[in-house]
Formats: sequence, C-alpha cells, structure tokens
Amino acid sequence: MLRLININKRLGDFALTDINIEVSAGEYYVLLGRSGSGKTQLLELIAGLEHPDKGRIILDNEEITNRSIQDRKVGIVFQDYAVFPHMTVFGNIAYPLRARKEDKKSITEKVEKAATAMNIKHILERSTIKLSGGELQRVALARTLITSPRLLLLDEPLSSLDTSLKDDLKRLLRNLNKAGQTIIHVTHDYGDAISLAKRVGVIHNGNIIQEGSVDEVFKNPSSRFVARYAGIRNFFKVNISEENGLFVGVTDHNVRFKLNGVTAGNDRLLFIRSGFISLTNEVPADNELNAIKGRITEIIPSEFGMEVVVDAHDLFHINILFSEIEKLKLVEGKDVWVNFPARAIVVINSNS
Amino acid sequence: MILSSLVLLFILAPLIGMFLHTGGGQFLETVKDREVQQSVWLTLWVSFAATLIFSLGAIPFAWLLARKKFPFKNVVQGIIDLPIVLPHTAAGLALLGFISRDGFLGKTASLFGLNLVNHPSGIALAMAFVSLPFLINAARDGFAAVPERLEKAALNLGASNTKVFFTISLPLAWRSITTGFVMMFARGMSEFGAVVIIAYHPMIAPVLIYERFSSYGLNYARPASVFFILVALLFLIGLRLLSLKRKEKYINADAQTD
Repeated sequence: MLRLININKRLGDFALTDINIEVSAGEYYVLLGRSGSGKTQLLELIAGLEHPDKGRIILDNEEITNRSIQDRKVGIVFQDYAVFPHMTVFGNIAYPLRARKEDKKSITEKVEKAATAMNIKHILERSTIKLSGGELQRVALARTLITSPRLLLLDEPLSSLDTSLKDDLKRLLRNLNKAGQTIIHVTHDYGDAISLAKRVGVIHNGNIIQEGSVDEVFKNPSSRFVARYAGIRNFFKVNISEENGLFVGVTDHNVRFKLNGVTAGNDRLLFIRSGFISLTNEVPADNELNAIKGRITEIIPSEFGMEVVVDAHDLFHINILFSEIEKLKLVEGKDVWVNFPARAIVVINSNS
Repeated sequence: MILSSLVLLFILAPLIGMFLHTGGGQFLETVKDREVQQSVWLTLWVSFAATLIFSLGAIPFAWLLARKKFPFKNVVQGIIDLPIVLPHTAAGLALLGFISRDGFLGKTASLFGLNLVNHPSGIALAMAFVSLPFLINAARDGFAAVPERLEKAALNLGASNTKVFFTISLPLAWRSITTGFVMMFARGMSEFGAVVIIAYHPMIAPVLIYERFSSYGLNYARPASVFFILVALLFLIGLRLLSLKRKEKYINADAQTD
C-alpha cells in the first residue's frame, strides 16, 4: 500500500538516509526509535508536510512524492495533537468538512457520528482550551478520521497519557486497525510497539536498522542497539491455558511459565522484566517462583556486569554481578536454575 | 522603584501641566473652532484609512516574514525598520520626490487627475511611510507565535493555503495584529515631520498646532493640543475595546457555523 523508496532528507546536521519501508493495506506498523532518531520527520515526509531530497513515495500504486498535502489523503495526528485553540470541539472536527465546503446538515451529522465513536459527543460545544490530554487526543483523532484517510499516521499517541487512558486508546487503535484502517505509529516505547504492532521498524540515527514482525525483531535483534533498545532479551511466544485453577504459559519448546492475572489463549507474547531474574544452583524453596532448569552456554561481560546465557530449550539472558558468578561458581556448561516471580512476567494481550 | 516613578513622572508631568494651564473657556472656544474640528477629524480618518489600506498588504507580508525563508531576509527586515531611524523630515522629502508630479507615483496619479501633494491621499502616504514598521513587526511577531503545527494540521485536514491563513493563522495572531494596527494608527496620526513637507494644507492637527504656536504663541497652541490629545485617546481606547470584543466574538461564533 505504502512504499518508501530510498528516501533521503537532510535536516540541519541530521539526515534520514536510504529509508525503505513497505506497509501493506490493513497493517499496523510501528516505527520505534528514540527522540531525535528522525521518526517524526519521516511521518511529515509521508504526509507531504516536508519533501524528500531524494527518493520516492508510492501510495496505492501512485507516486505521491510531489503531490500536494491536501491531495494525499494521509491523515496525521501530532504528538501535541495540534487541536485548534480558537475553535470549539465541534469546530475542530468539522474543520476538514468545512474546508471541503460540505453542506451544514451533513457536517452536523458526520461530526456527531465521529464524536459518538470517539466518546466525546458530550463535549462538542466546549472550547478546547480546558480539555484534558485524553480528550484533546480524541478530538484530534476524530478530526483526522472524519477525512477517511487512506493511511493514518500517529506521532507518539500514547506518550502523554496515564495508564488507564493508555489502555483505552490502545483498544481504540486496535479496533480501528481491525476495521481495516492502515496505521503507522511512531513511538519510543518498546511496550507500545509490542502491544500494538503487526510489524516493527527500528529507526536509529536516521536509518531503519531492523524491520520485521515483533517476534522476529526482538527475538533476533540484528544489532546491539535493537537489543539494548528493548532492554529485554527474554521474550517468548506461548499458549496460555488453565491447569488446576492456575494459568500456565507453554512455549513451542515446552518451557512452562506460571502466570498471574491472565486469560487463556494461544499465540500470546510474554516477556520477563529485567532485574527480576536470578540464578541458583539448587531448586529454590519458594514454590511460588518460576524455576526453570537449563545449561549455561555463554558468560559474556556486559554493561551491567556479566550476561549469562542459559539454554533451557529456549534461551534466557540474565544480567548478574561479577561477584555472583564467583559465589555461585558459574562456568559455561554448568546446569543452573533460572528463577523469577510470576509478577515479573508481562503478557501482551494481543487478543483484547 | 524611585527611579521608575521619576521616569513615569517625566512622561506625565508635562502633559498634566499642559492640561492644568488650559482654561475651561479657552478650551471650549477651541473645541467650537471649525478649523480645529476639521483638522482633528482629518487627522483621524486619514491615519485610519492609511492603516486600513496598507494593512491589506502588510499583514500577508508579515506572515511571509514569520514563516518563510528567502534570500536576503535580513536585508528586507532592515529595510522595513528603516522609516523608524530616518529623520522624518528626510523621509518626507524622499517621499515628496516620489509623489510630486515628476515622481513615478505622482505621474501615475496625475493620469487619473489626482494631485497627491497637498491632498489627503498624500498625507496618508506620508503617515503610512513612517508608521508601517509598527504594524508589520507586531503582526510578524504575532504570526511567529502561532505554532506552525496548527497550520500543518490544517493543511493535512485538506484546507488550502489561503483557507489556512484566514481560519488559523490570522485569528490566532489577531491580538498582535490589532495591537500593531492601533500602534500604526497612533503613530500615523501623531506624525508631523513627514506630513508637513507633503501637505501644509489641508492641515492635520499636528501641523495646525505647530502653526498656531509659531504664529500666535504657546497660549493659542495649547488648547488645540489638549483637544487633539483627548480625542486621540478616546479613539485609541475605543479601538482597543472593539478589537478585544471582536476576538471574543470570533471564538463564540465558531461553535455555530463558519
């Protein structure tokens, strides 16, 4: 649906170089990168607010590289929402329709419908000055969606929302995507990426350094940057089922995780938060802990001390202090137990 | 604190002095004087018209300065500020060369049977020449303070450049623009140097005050000054209130329709 071909753009002392991205129709594509990595600029190029120095942008088999902003039918929602402060909520949502000179009656109908879908119908007549961040975002989304964009671009939509609003918005975005809306979502947050994306592109210093499904990218980071970006190496695909009132997640290699506060389902992704995993030579006494037996395959110096890689049919990466290695007499080839509490496990609810 | 009060006093004391020295009877007589009335009225409407007409070009120009990069932008900015630093008599002389029958603009105007020298339109040009920087600079700052994101968002929502200018940039910069408008208007109507060279007649208030002072002395010039100051103040305050009201109206009106 969207193809970026060898996009180059110089921006001061920073440049986007040879960006190639392909997004198919109906896809949820997350562009992951730190601030200053060029991800917002890339969105602006796609929307036509900026023009590339080199390269081509193809949308629905048409070249749109030099197409005007208004003709692209690509909607962008900015990080700061860019809601017009001198208009009411109604005025904001109606803006694109008024720009197209639609008649009053159809504007009112469409705005009310869009506002209902976004759950902001009750604030339509209000000024936008005193709205909360979550409300502003819904106004910005409604305003963009009312134009029925072929492609929806979101710049850090979750970054300034608190947790409960975040979940609401994630659900909303998932439903939008399910209804067929192609979305490109830019974020610095690894958690957002894995909870929403079908595919991920990691952007660093103006380059796409890795691209693929969430599973591919974070299980096989192609570079130290991607691995460190996530800060998490222990990432597993599991089927979750209930056994004797307890929930258990099982990987394809039959590694079993005890889980809390989850629901059953197949093909879920889970990761173990770093900092919760420890190693012991014996089975731990605490029955509540997850304890998984494996063999040490590698001990590598890392920026946090030492990284121990344990093969339990799936690989675990554990960062521990050098003194611990000596105390536990850890060497390559030794059998150990990998321990972590159930609360350290985060299950990505890809079905909700 | 004391220094600040002294500075404030320095501005106020001469004005208060002038008001106190003006007797009631003398003042009323001046107010009734048709010559004075006409000159005050002329000053106000010519300055207002000059500001209004020139704002049609100055406001889009200010937007350009705030938003676009172009070669020699600093030079252009310098040229705009030039009238502020020129001695106004010199500005008047330069303008006279331009609008007299031999000058380019004067020649063009005379084709339509219009003589700019000693005519309100010439006065308007002189007023605009010295006061235009105030409007352009204030409007430019106003446009620059409008987040570019909002303009980009509007473009993305399908609005044309013109539509974005009138529905986003202009209303959001409105306060600065009206401030600039009032400043330009005020500066224009208080102009003496440039106007007196272009048109001694018809007489605008500052020229009239000068004429009364040089022909009859301080006591005759003072009541006219006081009258002009009072009328100008009333007009300025009225304009300010009106511009604030219009801004509010714009916001409220939007809830209904365009």
